[in-house]
Amino acid sequence: MLEVANKEETEVEKNKQCSSWLSPSWLTWNKYSEGMLRTLEKRILQIVKTPYRGCFVDIGPVVGPADKIWTLSFNTNSQRTPLVLVQGLGAGVALWCLNIDALAATRPVYAFDLLGFGRSSRPDFDSDAVDAEKQMVRSIEEWRKEMNLNEFILLGHSLGGFLAASYSISYPNRVKHLILSDPWGFPEKPSESVQPVPLWVKTLSYMMQPFNPLAGVRAAGPFGPWFINTLRPDISKKYSNALMEYSADDLIPRYIYQCNSQYPSGESAFHTMMSNFGWAKNPIVRRIDRLDKRIPITLLYGSRSWIDHSAEDIIKLKRSDSYFKLQVINGAGHHLYADKPEAFNQIVNDACAFTDADQRNLAIMPPPDGSDESDAPESEKSLT
Amino acid sequence: MNLSFAGCGFLGIYHVGVACCFRKYAPHLLLNKISGASAGAMAACCLLLDLPLGETTSDVLRVATEARKKSLGPFNPSFNIHQLLLEGLERFLPDDAHIRVSGKLHISLTRVRDGKNVIVSQFDSREELIQALLASAFIPVFSGLFPPKFKGVRYMDGGYSDNLPTLDEHTITVSPFCGESDICPRDDSSQLFHINIANTSIELSKHNIYRMVRILFPPPPETLANMCKQGFDDALRFLHKNNLINCTKCLAVQSTFVVSDTLEENLIYDPQCTDCKIHRQEALVSNVPDTVLNVFQEVIESANKGVSNWLFKHRGMKLLSVLSLPYTLPADIMYATFTKLHLLKPVVPQLKRRLVSHNATSFQLLTSIGNQFETFSFDYKPCQALLPHNRNACIKDPSLSVHERFMATAPQVGNALWDVSKVVLDQMSNVLTRVNRKRQQISAKITCQLAITEYSGGKEPPVDDLVENKVNLNFTLDLDDCDLPLEQSPERKFNTRQILQRKPSFTINKSDTMDDDTFDHILQVTSHHEAIMAYYYLDENNKVKVTEIFDVTEDESPLLQTPCEKDVNTNLEFDDSWTDYNQVGELAQDDLHSEYSLEDLLDSDKNVFSDPESEWVGTCKVEEPEDDLRYSSNDARPESDRVTLKNEDNTKEKLLIHSRDFEYKNC
Repeated sequence: MLEVANKEETEVEKNKQCSSWLSPSWLTWNKYSEGMLRTLEKRILQIVKTPYRGCFVDIGPVVGPADKIWTLSFNTNSQRTPLVLVQGLGAGVALWCLNIDALAATRPVYAFDLLGFGRSSRPDFDSDAVDAEKQMVRSIEEWRKEMNLNEFILLGHSLGGFLAASYSISYPNRVKHLILSDPWGFPEKPSESVQPVPLWVKTLSYMMQPFNPLAGVRAAGPFGPWFINTLRPDISKKYSNALMEYSADDLIPRYIYQCNSQYPSGESAFHTMMSNFGWAKNPIVRRIDRLDKRIPITLLYGSRSWIDHSAEDIIKLKRSDSYFKLQVINGAGHHLYADKPEAFNQIVNDACAFTDADQRNLAIMPPPDGSDESDAPESEKSLT
Repeated sequence: MNLSFAGCGFLGIYHVGVACCFRKYAPHLLLNKISGASAGAMAACCLLLDLPLGETTSDVLRVATEARKKSLGPFNPSFNIHQLLLEGLERFLPDDAHIRVSGKLHISLTRVRDGKNVIVSQFDSREELIQALLASAFIPVFSGLFPPKFKGVRYMDGGYSDNLPTLDEHTITVSPFCGESDICPRDDSSQLFHINIANTSIELSKHNIYRMVRILFPPPPETLANMCKQGFDDALRFLHKNNLINCTKCLAVQSTFVVSDTLEENLIYDPQCTDCKIHRQEALVSNVPDTVLNVFQEVIESANKGVSNWLFKHRGMKLLSVLSLPYTLPADIMYATFTKLHLLKPVVPQLKRRLVSHNATSFQLLTSIGNQFETFSFDYKPCQALLPHNRNACIKDPSLSVHERFMATAPQVGNALWDVSKVVLDQMSNVLTRVNRKRQQISAKITCQLAITEYSGGKEPPVDDLVENKVNLNFTLDLDDCDLPLEQSPERKFNTRQILQRKPSFTINKSDTMDDDTFDHILQVTSHHEAIMAYYYLDENNKVKVTEIFDVTEDESPLLQTPCEKDVNTNLEFDDSWTDYNQVGELAQDDLHSEYSLEDLLDSDKNVFSDPESEWVGTCKVEEPEDDLRYSSNDARPESDRVTLKNEDNTKEKLLIHSRDFEYKNC
């Protein structure tokens, strides 16, 4: 049932954090451990039927001296255009577990932890919003070079959507289709709030500003998983159906805690890219017209999501002559990939199929239909 | 589709706005199950029972202003939220409330014993329903020490376990916090973080932080009014997005579909119905109903007038009151302890009620401090029979002189007087409503209200009061059932002319240029003209509602139109330089077949607006004192039938809006 046999890690850090007799692990407040994060990720990914391969991709000195990006690859034998998944803030690759089987059925799927998040290395990013974003985008490009991907379909969620859009602007030849799932950072910050806020609220929010968004989780130390589960019980609930036998209530909060309890360099980068209370300093709306006209865009959002939905208007207005499709998933919130996985997978697969059909029509590349149709089932057969 | 309301303390006013919108534009959604916790459960109950929104609003506002009055706000020991809620529920819930809501109303409760969530939907008596609602709103320590019992088990606020109970996949969730709910405010923020407390998603935005604090500390009435309006707007946006706004005709089709299955074949729901489109466009520019707005207006005014209110508005005064808190608080606590002791005797209020209801002429003044009771009665004999225990208590303690006793009771006398007068008024209104109800059963009752407001043209010298004449006609006529077509099937259209030709009794609140035969003339107009819009429909309470809108612009009669006005009207027809505003006016007249973009409608906030049911006005409206009088004078009618038409200056459109409400019982 489980295909962990295929999994190999190019770099396994056997020696955990040196727990000498001076500072035993039970004395430290922060309960991060590399091994624990690896185990939790593995346990969550048990529900994924597709065989996968996880590796640290060495992208060299992009931000830090030697950066590594933790990558999961699925169904790499397929010849179709691959799909690359970019996760949102504070999440890790394992949270795609509800979507991978459906998405990887017909094409290669790659999911990676952004630099500064999850299991990837955590270098210090620039303190300027534009530069930090450039560094992030460059790390994705270096990763693509290492992975030998020529072109791919890029799917970004939330913060990932922002970076995916930014990447598509910088490297338009690589992106066949841009899929944005409830993306962050599209609209400009409105000049003045319509509803006035009392002074004490302003003071409070001003005082909160210097802190990283997830600082509370790290400060909670050993109570971190409990803290996450108390404030966001909905996250575990989303996964509880699929993770039934492994108790999502326990796994998911611990996984999220482990993802975010290390040195928060990615979070700091997000913090620098953000101006007060969630607005992007350098929003996509200023640059979207520089995006290649040929790249089709699919925008998804949940009907209940509270994120500003002006991305729709922005894209419609600025890219009136290119392909754009809006998909609203009814009853889903911000985390639509976990709220309504079936609908989400369907929409993404349709968007990917559109790109394949488009390629065939344009005759840019002869469709390698015969080979990849048989590919996917074969690989599964061999392993089950 | 089911509805679910989040518990939210004093932010419950948001639910009132949502309820207004649903009742107005999507009553078909209210036929299903509605769930809720704490304030949400009360909103759900009010919606299911079809309680008048104006009165419930004023009750919420009453509690809020009560809480704001005291130092420390609602945490003041003498503020008893539990008691206030109980009073409100006792007053508003009808006797058969538990029968009507059983199986539909789902209240989320938290069991005290193990902290588990329990959803109850079966209520055996009215008291049980009240207990469940109170338990759902019970915050330990804040509301009291001992949680109330429901069917023998102690429960507390549903917000501790499940604040937004969802019954199935297709539940419309309503929450006053910006977050992942179907109907909730959308703050202009791009914040990625939200938290999920007891199933209610709350975005970490500045506005939500403010709202969180306002759960227990009620905001000033202006903010409450804004929240109510916000609720209305959000609900409207949701309905519009999901194409749930239909016209009344289509609604009638859908309601009859639910009520009786025999009518199906000849009534077909047409998704392309033009009425639906019209209704939807009107909905876009509509506002919270007048009845609710008026309540807010009153409370805001009363909160702002007076020297003391003006004084306390200043920051310095606020600071002073905060600084003086250590000195005033002990006094408050003392006072509260005494009043609490007084409340611990549950016999007292019950006795008062019984006395007054049994013998309306006997006037009882009952005061008490601790264990002592004093009885002043003007009609001594019947009280003696009813109050042996109290009289003994008085006699037992002869050591106090009359004077001392008076001094000791002084602070209580005022309260007791107030209580008694309240009870008397309550009883009076109870008796009156009972009388009314009886009458309805024996004969059909037609309530008709006409509101004609005319405003003068721009040619005259500017005067302070632009209102040329304003007539508000209210009349009620009771007809014997024998000569009315009421025995016939309910879906039959009433011959309104026939009914209106009777000579009714009517009152004119204000009349400058019109005399008695104006009314006759109106009757004549209504019988000779075809209505622009007329809706006949039967709602779920076996009520046939007829709404007609007559266009009297073309009318030749000098009574409805002065020659000068007629001239202006004819000129306007060929005038090219119509202002944006006049276009909107024309729009209202032309059955709202709009060729102007919706933005136009939305931008001009002073638009003339007439709705098939016509109690909705634009945001800019002229408040006439008569309106209040009118509302207070006829409480018996359901508020959805109250009619106002407000025309702004310069328009020459005169729409005579006619709303009749036929209530009949099969007898």
